[in-house]
Amino acid sequence: MDITRREFLGYTAGAMSVVGAPLPHWTAPSVAERRLKKWRVFCSDQDVLPESSAGYRAVLPQRRWRFEPWEQSDPLSHCSLVIMSSVFLLPEKIAERLRMCLQRGTTVIIESAAGFASHLGFRKHRRSLREGLGLRVAAPVNLWSPPRATPYVDYTWPIRTRVRDFTRLVPPANQPGQIIAWAGDLPVALRQRVGPGTLIYIGSPLGPALLIGDPEAIRWLYAVALSA
Amino acid sequence: MKKSIGDNMIPKDWGLERGLELVKRAGFDGIELWLGDVPWFQMTTTDAQVRELRRKVESAGLVVSNVSTGLHWATPLSARDPGVRAQAARIVERQIETAGLLGTDAILVVAGLVTEEVPYNEVYQRCVDALKPLGEKAARAGVKLGCENCNSEHRFLISPREFWQFLNDVNSPAVGIHLDVGNIHDTGFAEQWIEIHGPRITRIHLKDVLKHRGRSGDQSVYTNLFLGDNNWPAIRAAMTKVGYDGWLIAEMEARYRYAPDQQFYDTSQAMDRLISGRL
Repeated sequence: MDITRREFLGYTAGAMSVVGAPLPHWTAPSVAERRLKKWRVFCSDQDVLPESSAGYRAVLPQRRWRFEPWEQSDPLSHCSLVIMSSVFLLPEKIAERLRMCLQRGTTVIIESAAGFASHLGFRKHRRSLREGLGLRVAAPVNLWSPPRATPYVDYTWPIRTRVRDFTRLVPPANQPGQIIAWAGDLPVALRQRVGPGTLIYIGSPLGPALLIGDPEAIRWLYAVALSA
Repeated sequence: MKKSIGDNMIPKDWGLERGLELVKRAGFDGIELWLGDVPWFQMTTTDAQVRELRRKVESAGLVVSNVSTGLHWATPLSARDPGVRAQAARIVERQIETAGLLGTDAILVVAGLVTEEVPYNEVYQRCVDALKPLGEKAARAGVKLGCENCNSEHRFLISPREFWQFLNDVNSPAVGIHLDVGNIHDTGFAEQWIEIHGPRITRIHLKDVLKHRGRSGDQSVYTNLFLGDNNWPAIRAAMTKVGYDGWLIAEMEARYRYAPDQQFYDTSQAMDRLISGRL
């Protein structure tokens, strides 16, 4: 873990300050870099949901992240947290690196961007996650058909919080691990221990909420970082 | 100022040619073409057919005042689905292309749609992001892209200062406001919107509004010019103050139970009174 509690509190306090701002410009407080460990956000070469990647970029402290296309990634050494935003297909060479990261104790977040995919596209997505990381996901669900009474995903780990859903959900299927977020009675996010590492799968993109400065979404992300 | 009216006002069973004759006879100078709302102007209409459409308009002694569309209500630029957003952008691009073919320099876009499902801040950000490149395309084509103030209809950009900030954030000289003086309802005053936006106004839609009806129930809040609660002398004065001398486009609901063509004559005469300031 390469973030102190003081840093975490600083970031989340900053998150609270953007309430009501339509176009937040996130500025992380200036803190001394204590370790070489980094956070990295990766987007796909064919980023199907660029606003999601932009959301992570907007809220993570700039000195700590590296944002790169997948193809340029190095072995990801010294990363405590790797975020694969807006994932549609997971190339095998990237999956292999992620597996190595997990074996080194990294926390890896995989955010699905296949909610709006075609039937064929989703099948490719599902296969890619299963073969790459052993993640099993169920078919997309339109959370808004019929219209919902409350538009929120309830996260239960690492903190209890509420973030808006993103209409289409790709739920995690039955598999080992802990469900850490729900939309009503539908599972949204899963946490798995993989060796010394942690694999977190999110079925309803969080990035768009980060991009609009949702303080709860930011707080959740930083809480994950704190636990990494 | 010149007078125009939408081709979607033409009675359904009249057809384009007869409708154009009516528009001309009623005293209008131009016609607003609604992409996707009328059979003669669809997304599938070819460039050659669009040129033929222009020929028919000009043969009737009219010009095209602007290209509008209602397609963005079902296919908004603010949709979460990236596929829908791409389709929405394509609609705007086609509006820009056809504006050039039709010899006009303005298009109307309904910029975003706030719903229970897609919240305001998301809509705001996506619309800004979408309009920046579209504004560049419009500028290259010499076309002004006017975002219509649909206020309570799209639950977005409700106040004039909010709209002003939005246009600042888009930050494109080709993107302005297509101001509808009837859409403001009881959330403000059209003359203040005109004053605030002045040079950014690309076109003005005219209709009157029955403010006391609000948006509840199944009764329309809209009505013909001078029958509602808009302060028309103040609206006319505001146009003079900001130097607006462009197109005025009638956009009301076709509500005449009998003699639907009469609405064209009545509207045209009312617009003459507004332009002349005899109010």
